[in-house]
Amino acid sequence: MQTHNAAFDHDEAGLVARVSRLTKSYGAGSNAISALDGVSIGIRRGEFTAIMGPSGSGKSTLMHIMAGLDTATSGQAWLGNTEITSLRDEDLTILRRRRVGFVFQSFNLVPTLDVSGNILLPFELDGRRPARDEGEWIDRLIDSLGLRDRLRHRPHELSGGQQQRVAIARALATRPDLVFADEPTGNLDSRTSREVLSLLAASSTDYGQSIAMVTHDPIAASYADRILFLADGRVVEERGRSTAEEISSFMLGMEKAA
Amino acid sequence: MRREMREHVPSVLVATLSAAFGVSLLEITAVLGQIIAADDVTGRSKTVGILLGIVAFVFIVISIYVGAIVTANTFATIIAGRTRTIALLRLIGSSAASQRRGVAHEGLTVGILGAVLGVVSGTAVTVVVVTIATATRFVPSLPYTFVEPVVLLPAVAVVLTTWLASWVGSRRVLLVSPIQATGGAVEKSRDEVSGRRGRNVTAVVLFSVGAGLLGLGVLVGLVNPGGVLIGLVGGILSFTGLVLGAHLVMPPALRLTGRMFGSSATARLAAENAVRYPERSSRTTIGLVIGVTLITMFAVAVASYQQMILAAQRSQPEAYQGVDQTLAITVGVFSVLMGFSALIAAIGMVNNLSLSVLQRTRELGLLRALGFTARQVRRMILAESAQLTVAAVLVGLVLGVFYGWAGAQSLLGSIHGSPGLIVPAVPLLLIGIVVAGAAVLTLVASIAPSRRATRVAPVAALAVD
Repeated sequence: MQTHNAAFDHDEAGLVARVSRLTKSYGAGSNAISALDGVSIGIRRGEFTAIMGPSGSGKSTLMHIMAGLDTATSGQAWLGNTEITSLRDEDLTILRRRRVGFVFQSFNLVPTLDVSGNILLPFELDGRRPARDEGEWIDRLIDSLGLRDRLRHRPHELSGGQQQRVAIARALATRPDLVFADEPTGNLDSRTSREVLSLLAASSTDYGQSIAMVTHDPIAASYADRILFLADGRVVEERGRSTAEEISSFMLGMEKAA
Repeated sequence: MRREMREHVPSVLVATLSAAFGVSLLEITAVLGQIIAADDVTGRSKTVGILLGIVAFVFIVISIYVGAIVTANTFATIIAGRTRTIALLRLIGSSAASQRRGVAHEGLTVGILGAVLGVVSGTAVTVVVVTIATATRFVPSLPYTFVEPVVLLPAVAVVLTTWLASWVGSRRVLLVSPIQATGGAVEKSRDEVSGRRGRNVTAVVLFSVGAGLLGLGVLVGLVNPGGVLIGLVGGILSFTGLVLGAHLVMPPALRLTGRMFGSSATARLAAENAVRYPERSSRTTIGLVIGVTLITMFAVAVASYQQMILAAQRSQPEAYQGVDQTLAITVGVFSVLMGFSALIAAIGMVNNLSLSVLQRTRELGLLRALGFTARQVRRMILAESAQLTVAAVLVGLVLGVFYGWAGAQSLLGSIHGSPGLIVPAVPLLLIGIVVAGAAVLTLVASIAPSRRATRVAPVAALAVD
């Protein structure tokens, strides 16, 4: 599945994912609405990257295409050295299963499976049990996320924060190339939000997990190593680690300029 | 309004089928009566005519009862799907009672429409069947009369029961609170369902009393064919008990069959899905249970009936001359009519499975996002469908064998030269046909839902509602 691009080696460049001149438009002709307008970005390996922007900025669409959940109108997207915009549905599915992890706003656990079943689901979908080292890794995750005594609980028996921790465990279990988090704190209270964000940040610093998080919350973005700002389908700014205040004032400035 | 009518297509179809079934059955019984009266041997014996009348009555009551249960279930499902709309109307200020009256009004319309269509199509079926039968000299050519005032009885009964069924099925409207307009409505979990004491007690009492009466019917049947009437009451009571208590009976049966599909992720998810809303899966499967029970019951009753008549014939050949032909006609005609109930059940099943997929869009999207291939999703839906069918068929077969035996036994236990109590005769051909039919139904029922399910884009999981 590795399609090497002679011109650009993503591994050498330290990039885990990249998009180039990506556009996405809905509708046709004069009614066409452009969600992404020639976006080119790279996500660095081992970093916690936040993609920020107001509603309608195209940040969700960008994430969907990068994760192989949606198709682009034009342009290319790579995960590692795999160009994914040309993959068939079946290959994309397997790519998501093995190389991508997801944490969603609404937790999105399978309600009929218990915590352990949800965490192991990506392996089950692959028709295999975790190998020995994978099993040890999952055990470590379960302990560090404090889920040990919840393994037999169903999602509806857990609080929102606990559910999101299960989702994080599931996303990290396969040690994917890249974890996508879509407004992971959108449905949580502020204390639980901080906890979840710290966990994400720690998995990046401690285990070198690459994470791309879409959010419009400056506090969430302040946990990231790097922040990309999107507006009207374009990348308008890129910053290193920033405080929530700095991010807020930049966002406000963006609103005023618009 | 158009959407509401579309939701009622299955109910109209069910009402039409029950009415057509009743009408056709009455007409064919009348035709059979005329054949028997014209026959020298059987014409002299009044018993055959009376037996036919009783049998027809029994079947009509059963068909209307089945129609009513399927309709009540369909209405309950429709209401479950409309919860948001109802809650919104309640929020604006409509009362629960007026909402429920509205639903009952829809039920009346459905009933009238179904009854009219049923009278027309039922009569048409009878005319075609009799014409073919006369043309092929299967039955003698007599000046048959088809339409008699009595055929209006099943039609009226269908209107009334559909109306009643819609009223019973719309009970949920009262439970919808205005606040549900703002959030997702959740079906009751198993614990809550099992917790409903009153309903459970009623179910158990009905079942026990009914089973007792059924036993009494069999015993009385040993001396008098009227035993079947006691048995009929017992059968209806006990079956109503089973249907009321379906949420206690079906989930264990579903769990058991769920294990048969192995332990792959697809199979395990399917097994869990089939029991996640016990109320709904009980509703979905009970229609099929009724259908299979009826078909099996009828076939076992006929086989047992044949066995008893043959035994009686051997001991007193002169009294039972000419019975063979009547029997053949009865079997042929009723077998065709019996297919109706299976059709009614199939409609309910397809409808419910589609609905459950529709209400799971989000979760299907999640599975796709996490790496479920389209093929795995399709297999999961197929496994769910199979699980529902297998559980329903197994329960239906067991019940059908029992009821069919009880029916034949209580009706014929007292005829001349009868061997008394017999072992139920189970026609293997029938079981083969039922199993094959169930397999076809499984496939058919999963086509539309799985097409819809595989069309769910992974992005659907990320949508926030």
